[in-house]
Amino acid sequence: MNAAPAPAALAEVLARGDVWRGDALASLPVAAIPSGYPELDAELPGGGWPRGSLVELLADRGGCGEMSLLLPALARLNGEGGWLALVAPPWRPHAPAWTAAGLKPERLVVVRPGNQFAWCLEQLLCSGGFAGILAWPGAGIDARSLRRLQVAAEGRAVFAGLWRSTATAAAPSPAPLRVAFAAENGGLSVRILKRRGRPASRPLALAVPRPGRSPRVVAGPAFSIAAAGSAAAAAVA
Amino acid sequence: MLPLEALPLRQSPSAVVTGGRVLAVDPAAAAAGVEVGQKRSTALGLAPRLRLFERDAAREAAALEHLACWGGRFTPSVVQAPPDALLLEVDGCQRLFGSLVQLATMAVRECTTLGWSIAWAVAPTPLGARWLARAGYGGCVESLEQLAAVLAGLPCAVPGWPADTLARLEAFGVRQLGGLAGLPRAGLRRRLGGRIVDDWLRASGELPDPQAFHVFPERFAAALELPSRVEHAEALAFAGQRLLATLAGWLHARRRLIRACTLHLGHDDATTSVLDLRTGEPGADEGRLLRLLREHLGHLVLKAPVERLELLADETFPLSGESASLFGSAAAGEGRSACLERLRARLGEAAVRSPACIADHRPECATAEHDPLTEAPPDHAPVSEADAFRPLWLLPDPQPLAELAGSPHWHGSLQLLSRPERLESGWWDSGEAGAAGDVRRDYFVARNQLGQWAWIFRDARGWFLHGLFA
Repeated sequence: MNAAPAPAALAEVLARGDVWRGDALASLPVAAIPSGYPELDAELPGGGWPRGSLVELLADRGGCGEMSLLLPALARLNGEGGWLALVAPPWRPHAPAWTAAGLKPERLVVVRPGNQFAWCLEQLLCSGGFAGILAWPGAGIDARSLRRLQVAAEGRAVFAGLWRSTATAAAPSPAPLRVAFAAENGGLSVRILKRRGRPASRPLALAVPRPGRSPRVVAGPAFSIAAAGSAAAAAVA
Repeated sequence: MLPLEALPLRQSPSAVVTGGRVLAVDPAAAAAGVEVGQKRSTALGLAPRLRLFERDAAREAAALEHLACWGGRFTPSVVQAPPDALLLEVDGCQRLFGSLVQLATMAVRECTTLGWSIAWAVAPTPLGARWLARAGYGGCVESLEQLAAVLAGLPCAVPGWPADTLARLEAFGVRQLGGLAGLPRAGLRRRLGGRIVDDWLRASGELPDPQAFHVFPERFAAALELPSRVEHAEALAFAGQRLLATLAGWLHARRRLIRACTLHLGHDDATTSVLDLRTGEPGADEGRLLRLLREHLGHLVLKAPVERLELLADETFPLSGESASLFGSAAAGEGRSACLERLRARLGEAAVRSPACIADHRPECATAEHDPLTEAPPDHAPVSEADAFRPLWLLPDPQPLAELAGSPHWHGSLQLLSRPERLESGWWDSGEAGAAGDVRRDYFVARNQLGQWAWIFRDARGWFLHGLFA
């Protein structure tokens, strides 16, 4: 009974749960993700998009530049080696455009959950394997599911954005940050409906990147490759 | 009491003798007037029904070994101090148990439950704790100053020094250990020998006192001889509890979980029967194993009286703990691939896909989907300058748009913001089912009055909405 223990390999010893390695110091609590827009960062608590809590993104119609606003943050997460998940996006991602925006499509997962949206999103949030998750719940998500999702996101180093309609702006929500988007003068108007700290006073008008140089320019130099088809352009000009 | 309690087949009143003198007595014998140190004949004269046993050092060592394993549940630093003492270093784990007092109370209670009568003390030095325990102190001493004060009040007989040393000390007028502290050390060393002074210095913490810690064995096996022949299976539960407590301490100290163990019942006719204890999942819960044992014993019919039990741990697994980080960073989950596997299992393979770029100028063909878990992404297509002007979202199928007053309409009239970009040809897959085929389109960036930026095209059939610059 008193046999000496067999010598163990160093790797086995390090894998034990009761061995704590000093280099774990390097993993400090994760901070907010800079949005890439200094005027927006100034308004967001923590100086950027938060991790570990639900962010409600309220927009009524796509195509206003709402994704372009998130792209710098997503590209930063993706560039650090993090995986992104799109849950039930209403359209198909066009991979060349995402690549051109600085994202790696091979670290992007599109999940089509069918009618199990809340379960699916909760699993993704809890897994700890994603740096950013954007989800389009559609109209049918109730307050209970939202609360569950907020609990699932809490304490995880994940940016969790939930796209909802601006019709839900008046309804209470467990998400600590709610941001509404609207198109305005060719740019994007961002209104922070709810945040930790004092309420935001006025909407921010942000110049998000749009195709072409400026909204007023009818033809940009980048489109010169298509100049051959000018007959059609003449027809509509 | 260890010499007595380590013995099997014991009946009250009983006593252990060594070298013709009584070493330990049980309460019944003590009530009859039998005392430690008496001659064998005196003891028998006082209590004629007294059963005397010769001291069995091997059994004592085995019992101490069991107790050392049991101590593993409190601390990994356990020291066997033969013949009859067990030292647990609890400085590092007192917070885990709340406080020293709670830890000590718990240890004493468990020890009593297992049928050992113990004398205990908690002190900053190992030797100090042993002396206090031997003197029946039964309390916690937290600081060295307090320890010195308490030790000073102990009689000189407590440390178990040789009789001639005690006689000398008596001659000096030193009846309590505190008297040693006042005497010049060099003189004491010369007269009594170094051991006495060193013991005192170790006990009071002035000399270091390194200990050889108990090594918990690689494989667990513990045997127990029963105090009497047991004919009913239920009566084995108590002895089984002792073995399981030892097992629990061993599991804790070696950080392992157990799924199966076997209890060998040694019968008095030198045969052995085996009882398998198997839990559904690996665990370290002593109570669960004990309930399991009781269930088995409940319907076990012994073929012969049992006099020996042996417990062997058959299947043990390392305890896979998770390190918490120092600053309480984000909680870890099951990980990406495990999560995606589960999603795929429930939602179907088509529900979890990763996009990849394909070198094809037709927008609907430029994105390929693959399974992120099992398939490698297709070869990476180079990003062209034009890709910066492609929309992030494509509609699954181009949506026909109405044309009013010469301009396309989508939530109001669309204003064209770019010159046309001609994308054409695709003859190589025209005619294939599901393929985009030969196309000839002029694409425009357009914006409607709601501020939505769209990617539309016109071909021979009219205007179509194909993407959104979100």
